[in-house]
Amino acid sequence: MPEIILKNVTKRFDKFVAVDNLNLTIPSNSFITLLGPSGCGKTTTLRMIAGLETPTEGEIIIDGVTVFSSEKGINIPPNKRDVGFLFQNYALWPHMTVYQNIAFGLENLKWDKKRIRARVDELLAMLKIEEFEHRYPSELSGGQQQRVAIARTLAPNPKVLFMDEPLSNLDAKLRTEMRTELKRLHVDTDSTFVYVTHDQLEAMTLSTKVCLMEKGLLQQYAAPLDMYLRPANLFVADFMGSPTMNFLPAKTKKTGETSCELSFCGLTRTFTAGKPLASLPENVVLGIRPEFISIVSDSSIPASVYSTLPAGMETTVKLKLGGEIITSVVFGGIDFPVDSTVYLAFKGSDMLLYDAQSKKLIADGEIK
Amino acid sequence: MQNPFSAKQRAKLRAFFSKPANVILVVFCVLLCMLTLYPLIVLFLETITVHAGKEARAVKLTAGDFTLYSLERIFATAKNQYSKLTFYEPLFNTLAVAVTASLISIVFGGSVAWLITRTNLKFKKFISTVFVFPYIMPAWTLATWWQTFFKNVNAGAGTSNGIMAAVFGVNMPEWFVYGFFPISMVLGLHYAPFAYILIGGILRNMDANLEEAATILKTSRVRILWRITLPIVRPALLSTFLLVFASSMSAYSVPVFLGSPVRYYVLSTKMMSLINNYPGQGYIIAGVMIIFGVAILALNQYVTGSRKSYTTVTGKAAQISLINLRKANLPIAIGLTVLLVLVAVVPLLTFALESVIIKAGDYSLSNMTLDFWIGRNLTYLDQGDSTGILLSAKVIKALGFSLLLALTCSFFAGTCGVLVGYGVVKRRGSKLATIVNNLSFFPYLMPSLAFGAIYLALSTRVPFLHGFTVLALVGSVKYLPFASRSGINAMLQLSGEIEEAAVIVGVPWPKRMLRILFPIQKSSFLSGYLLPMVSCMRELSLFVLLVPTSNTLLTTMLMQYSEKGWAQFGNAINLLIIIVVLLVNGIVNKLTGASIDKGVGG
Repeated sequence: MPEIILKNVTKRFDKFVAVDNLNLTIPSNSFITLLGPSGCGKTTTLRMIAGLETPTEGEIIIDGVTVFSSEKGINIPPNKRDVGFLFQNYALWPHMTVYQNIAFGLENLKWDKKRIRARVDELLAMLKIEEFEHRYPSELSGGQQQRVAIARTLAPNPKVLFMDEPLSNLDAKLRTEMRTELKRLHVDTDSTFVYVTHDQLEAMTLSTKVCLMEKGLLQQYAAPLDMYLRPANLFVADFMGSPTMNFLPAKTKKTGETSCELSFCGLTRTFTAGKPLASLPENVVLGIRPEFISIVSDSSIPASVYSTLPAGMETTVKLKLGGEIITSVVFGGIDFPVDSTVYLAFKGSDMLLYDAQSKKLIADGEIK
Repeated sequence: MQNPFSAKQRAKLRAFFSKPANVILVVFCVLLCMLTLYPLIVLFLETITVHAGKEARAVKLTAGDFTLYSLERIFATAKNQYSKLTFYEPLFNTLAVAVTASLISIVFGGSVAWLITRTNLKFKKFISTVFVFPYIMPAWTLATWWQTFFKNVNAGAGTSNGIMAAVFGVNMPEWFVYGFFPISMVLGLHYAPFAYILIGGILRNMDANLEEAATILKTSRVRILWRITLPIVRPALLSTFLLVFASSMSAYSVPVFLGSPVRYYVLSTKMMSLINNYPGQGYIIAGVMIIFGVAILALNQYVTGSRKSYTTVTGKAAQISLINLRKANLPIAIGLTVLLVLVAVVPLLTFALESVIIKAGDYSLSNMTLDFWIGRNLTYLDQGDSTGILLSAKVIKALGFSLLLALTCSFFAGTCGVLVGYGVVKRRGSKLATIVNNLSFFPYLMPSLAFGAIYLALSTRVPFLHGFTVLALVGSVKYLPFASRSGINAMLQLSGEIEEAAVIVGVPWPKRMLRILFPIQKSSFLSGYLLPMVSCMRELSLFVLLVPTSNTLLTTMLMQYSEKGWAQFGNAINLLIIIVVLLVNGIVNKLTGASIDKGVGG
């Protein structure tokens, strides 16, 4: 339920800046993903909110209570922050049974035995691990351990749940399964989830809002689809989506308030932006998602097939266009012969222009 | 001539022996049986054989005859309380000392390990560096220091006052200076670093998330320690207890310095006093020590092997939040520092001081001289030598011999370790490899003094086993476990493909070893050479029975001087040995990263 606010949070390890001046508001009941490549500071951020790591500077507020402030000298220890934490390696205590693991946190809260029994039973049932109650963690599979860890974390009903790459040690099939359950759990428990991952697909599918970081700096904080369709800069555009977006160097010539002439890959087309183009640099990068390049029976844009990767449901086609290799994804499994000629069309109004220098998004629009 | 093997069997044999790993394993299997199992049999035979001298006269049989005399004397002679005084009491003393020493080392070493890995203690770097010093230094260092420092005319057969009595005017009571208390204390302090290394290693490698998970679930610090941390390190604690117990049990130098002056005997010192006149009885005690040692270490294998696997997938738990000791920080840090200075630095200063005073007990400047170090032809030194130790031909010869022995042992142990490592890892899982692996670790299970006794027994039967040969042999075999552990670990880290890539292009085996495998794992293999060397330099109990004369090695020379009461020379030689050991260990550590304190322990 509670809201979490980070104000100018910075963490330095000696000279290395792990998190640089991060400002973030995590709304109540949201499912926030901290996303980024390894070493970007996402885990450090999570650990700072939980209290396992002390920020060098800044302020953290959970549910209206300042839990950390470098200025006021406040640092509430993790056991007083009312949070749950799910570790990447589960961190189940090897010398305790499943029951003891789950009950341990409740014993700390001085619950009576009956109440503990009832709560543990409830969780065992909820996570479908009743039959493992008396087993030790080493006698469980990875997926079962994961469930025990979730049960242990949920037991005291934390208002905020932090998860540090909880699915990365599972195999692909289990991971998909657990994703579904985590999303369901978010609704059922009615709490705020903060989730760390390096997997953009996980972030896309799970969260209500994604916070993408790189080298300790916040790159974009937006709803997953917004981030997918309107990445704020080239790094975000490249990081989100698979196969990755096509980036084509282009030159512009302004022709109207919202339109310009765009030359790329030996083509010259008109770009019409959704909003007025304020300033337009000459050198831009045109970003087009693969699914917005369709292969049609006839058009004015011929391209030759470089290679085809049919995956059944969709086919990724690598194409040669004016000296560049571009990617297109089409629905269905079609095996285009190598070096054959196909015709392309740019569909929709989600073509993106980035400043080649600052790498920031300038405009979105359509190409005709 | 009829060939006993069929063509098919011959082909099989040829294929088997075409693999170098198999040849190595077969050779070592035979060799190690001869060097470890056969001597055990010999030891057993010696316990039921009549030896010339007092023993033959006592049983009125000729030497070499079969007798149960020794067994009866040791275990079941009530007359004059003989068995009680020769065996049962020393056995009880041994166990009491070993248990107490183990507890001291675990509590002390374990606490320091916890403080270093889990709190924001001050002077961590200094404490963790100096803490292992007592373990690197020879075991008797602290014992001789204790004696020198606390001895006084009121305790035992004290003839002179140590620093405590002479300078501070405090005469410590006898129980404090000699016997159970100081032996347990000194052994406990000596092995505390070992406990620190083992427990600290587990604490360092233990997934910090386990403790963090408890913190998040609102667990108090104390409860985390009791319910999470301690249970997880319990196997390591138990293992430490057993290893320290086994080592303390077989310790010889400490009880000889701190027990024998007041006739407080443990098994090892009793065995030494028996072995010259009643070899049969001495060998029985050696056998008892071996049985204890093997049993305890087998128990340890069982404990560490069978426990539920506590290894967890290591997360990104590099940064654990340290416990803030707040007000207790400085007092603990200072207290520890003072204690460490006391056990690691003060002994050296004491030896230095004691080696320069002329008349014992007088610590005034006018009573000091460097003659015991660099004097020449000074009859007043009157301690078996008229020349200071740095110029004495005797001392220099012993130092040379010690170094030569250390180098020889390290060469043989190290080379065998590499070969055993190669053979065992290549044929991992096969019966032969398991046998060789266990045999190569077997000498580790045997108490040094008893192992020396075995080879003493052996040397009476094998003609060429005497002098340097037997010393080099016993040293090489005893330190093989250090080397074979490093060898096996080094080979395990190498993926098989690295050698296979060379096999494919037809590189012969010796070249593969020398040009590919050895260079890649240079530092691991080298530590297999160097650990035996350092250990050998500070070894006393293994060699004390086997040296031709006590002047042969520096360490046995120290024993002799100490027995004769030549305090200044003794202290000077003691300091010399410690400095050489620290120096060699320091150089080894700089060169390869290996160090005594990182070995398998002992």
